[in-house]
Amino acid sequence: MLLSVAAMAAAPALARAEAGPIRVVRLPSPNSPLVTLRLVFQVGAADDPAGHEGLAALTAAMLGEGSTVRRTWSEVLDALYPMAADIHAYGDKDAFVFTGTVHRDNLDAFASLLADQILTPRFSSEDFTRLKQDSLDAITKTLRGNDDEDLGKQALGTLIYAGHPYGHPTPGTVAGLSALGLDDVKRFYAEHFTQDRLLVGVAGGYPESFPAAFAARFAVLPTTGKARAELAPPPARVGMDVLLVEKQSLGNAISMGTSIDVTRDDDDFYPLAVAASYLGEHRTFNGVLMLAMRQKRGLNYGDYAYVENFIQDGWTTFPLTNIPRRQQHFEIWLRPIPPAGAGFAIREAIFETDKLIRDGIPAVGFAATRAFLLNYINLWAQDGSRRLGYAIDAAIYGKDVVAELKRRLPAMTKDDVDRAIRKYLTTKNLAVVVVGDKVKALAGALAAGKPTPIVYDTKDTPADVLKEDKLIESYPLPLSAPHIKIVSANSLFEK
Amino acid sequence: MTAEAKAFPFPTVETTLPNGLRVFVVHYDSPGLVAYYSIVRTGSRNEVEPGKSGFAHFFEHMMFRGTRQFSTEKYNAEIKAMGADSNAFTSDDMTVYHILAGASALPTIVNIEADRFQHLEYTESEFQKESRAVLGEYNKGASDPLQPMVETLYENAFQAHTYKHTTIGFLRDIVDMPNQFPYSRQFFDRYYRPDNVLLLVVGDVTSEQVMPLVEKHYGGWSAGPARPAIPVEPPQQHERRATVAWKGASLPMLLIGFHAPAFSTTSIDGVALEVLSELVFAERSPLYRRLVLDEQKVEHIDGSCDRHVDPNLFTILARVKDSKDLAYVEKVIYQEIARIAAEGMSAKTLAEVVSHTRYAFAGQLATADKVALIGAEFLALDGRLSAIDDTFALLAKVSPADVKRVAGKYFTPENRTVVTLQPEAAEAAEADSVPEAPEVQ
Repeated sequence: MLLSVAAMAAAPALARAEAGPIRVVRLPSPNSPLVTLRLVFQVGAADDPAGHEGLAALTAAMLGEGSTVRRTWSEVLDALYPMAADIHAYGDKDAFVFTGTVHRDNLDAFASLLADQILTPRFSSEDFTRLKQDSLDAITKTLRGNDDEDLGKQALGTLIYAGHPYGHPTPGTVAGLSALGLDDVKRFYAEHFTQDRLLVGVAGGYPESFPAAFAARFAVLPTTGKARAELAPPPARVGMDVLLVEKQSLGNAISMGTSIDVTRDDDDFYPLAVAASYLGEHRTFNGVLMLAMRQKRGLNYGDYAYVENFIQDGWTTFPLTNIPRRQQHFEIWLRPIPPAGAGFAIREAIFETDKLIRDGIPAVGFAATRAFLLNYINLWAQDGSRRLGYAIDAAIYGKDVVAELKRRLPAMTKDDVDRAIRKYLTTKNLAVVVVGDKVKALAGALAAGKPTPIVYDTKDTPADVLKEDKLIESYPLPLSAPHIKIVSANSLFEK
Repeated sequence: MTAEAKAFPFPTVETTLPNGLRVFVVHYDSPGLVAYYSIVRTGSRNEVEPGKSGFAHFFEHMMFRGTRQFSTEKYNAEIKAMGADSNAFTSDDMTVYHILAGASALPTIVNIEADRFQHLEYTESEFQKESRAVLGEYNKGASDPLQPMVETLYENAFQAHTYKHTTIGFLRDIVDMPNQFPYSRQFFDRYYRPDNVLLLVVGDVTSEQVMPLVEKHYGGWSAGPARPAIPVEPPQQHERRATVAWKGASLPMLLIGFHAPAFSTTSIDGVALEVLSELVFAERSPLYRRLVLDEQKVEHIDGSCDRHVDPNLFTILARVKDSKDLAYVEKVIYQEIARIAAEGMSAKTLAEVVSHTRYAFAGQLATADKVALIGAEFLALDGRLSAIDDTFALLAKVSPADVKRVAGKYFTPENRTVVTLQPEAAEAAEADSVPEAPEVQ
């Protein structure tokens, strides 16, 4: 049912421009009863015009959750129901995706429904009202009030990318969304959802003729439209910036990061990915941060590090595919910590990262991380939908991350990783966001450069840990009072 | 897809060891991969002693804290070397430990899993540190208003049964966990026994490969002592209502629970309720169309009855756009269920629901890990993988009259508990303090 990873590595990026500029990616699995369709448009929040932040996402929502000329959205849902199919629409700064998986019995019917969503959207005022209100509520109610960790991550994005096309949450801002009218959406659609921005992916047990015929439907889209704006580099930062977001919470959610000039397209990405895995592989006990902060000290539930934007795919351990970015950032995620320990946690994360930068990756850690990744990457694309996602990302980046890691890891050396660490990782200009309670006290301690000790309410902490704690609690930060700001959660993402 | 096709079509071999350990090996076409699931038929439902809520989940954490042979560090190193996706979860009725890795790692997996299930050993210091990771897990969920809403719903809907507390437990019990080291050893002794654990191995493996390893590593494990009985919940006699205060932003929320039957492969009410949930709450339903699309008073609505060992709840959640519409939305939900109780459903609609359910289930069987996850749930509830096909056989027997009957039987005012949440005015407020951690002994 599945192609092995070896077979996938042997097949190069499968994108071919066939129906005009549309790129088509095929992954046949003749024995599979399922077929996945993915439509990936290289259109994202970075395309939002100034003052209309949220326009790309709202347009995508009108396509993915709105009526077509032929059917109201209610009728679309009715048509999808017997085949147990969904149209899953999601996106990020540089791409929006419309995807679904169906039994091959229902392929033609589902393909028609999906194509209609993109090609003949109705742009009804009822759908617009509903989806615009949902987007506003997503920011003002859900993001500001129901999810401290996502709030922290989104706020971090506004710091790292201040004044940059990536510098607002993908759903938009309150002012941006409020300013939008239906005509804005129609114009954005016409100018951006064009053939030259589209990749069509098909995976599974489909008839051989299907992909070409399906892709050909999209030849009615304009060949091209508004040019993609070149991205200026993100703003440079000198020293650390700390944003404390005050809200009622039990723990302080902490995210920190800084832009890095490397993506999957670059050779340096691969040794850097090894460093990130060593420092904090997502939701494993492999990472240095997890071992030091959760395992040894019981500080919180988890601590992770990344060298590209990471959104978890549902309840799995693995990242969403098809959210490629032209620019990436280094990020550390510390899950909520009791407020009394937040200052210590910030210092500890920076202490461990600085150790990695200064001393390089230990030889034993490098060997173990490499061995881990060589096996772990076999789990990243277990089903047709995810394999297709990775194949489309390969077409966009120019490199297939799984195939590249499989090829490069055996010959990679500790020196390669150390070189990448020294070139790209730094804690000198981190943006740090803390969401939660008692942030005024934290601000005071950080501004005064005071120690922020950890106080254990558990017994028998080992002596070596206590000794290290003394170093961490006073670890110097490149931070001064003017760079510490307190805001209320309800003030974020206004414009 | 034919009606005769099995819902769980994979070749399965079941073996029982003399000590009672039952092993299910499912061959699945995932070249080079295996999913190894250890299913403990114990969850938060088994936390019968006061002050011990959350312990099944806490113990799940402790299972990663080492043995004499495999310290935490050594265990983690083995998992890392095989490049495994390894984790665990606890729910009301089960604790499931799962490893997804290359099939070539099977001998190591069986060795380290058998070892920790029989010889777990940790210090009190490690125990206490891990208790604070559990507190961290509670804290990370606390910014989601659904956490206090679910706590409040179950605390009110149940008076005697241990479903009264959520799986993560009451915060007061979590804060006190560092003081429960002796109880943790009793918990392991009581529940981590071959007669209470099932093994499910799915993937590029055969029983001939798995069983010699299992016999070697688990053969010396001995069955456990008698386990405490779970109190029976008396019938609810009148509606219960509660509100949750929420400082900060949120959409207003409505959470309703109706007492519902336990999982069964013989009584038809459970699958009839599953059909009802689709009829009332699927995105193509009249209710969804009215509240979400036409009137646009609701941002999200869903309703379903999760499968449980004992009678649990059919729960309905709505996120409402304006507080003033909470009562209206509640009323409309009841009206729709009452309409089905009065009018029933057509055979055509029933056929569409059954088709949808079968296709949706088939779509979930896309990886060895997903197949194992589904199998684990049914094994924990019923002890048999054949329970999956039994359930679908029962689904095929549901009639419109069954759906009409359950709509009338279970959705009465005296059978429901209702929780609402409305955000307070957004002021920068002094935090409620987390209960001070008691002095650790």
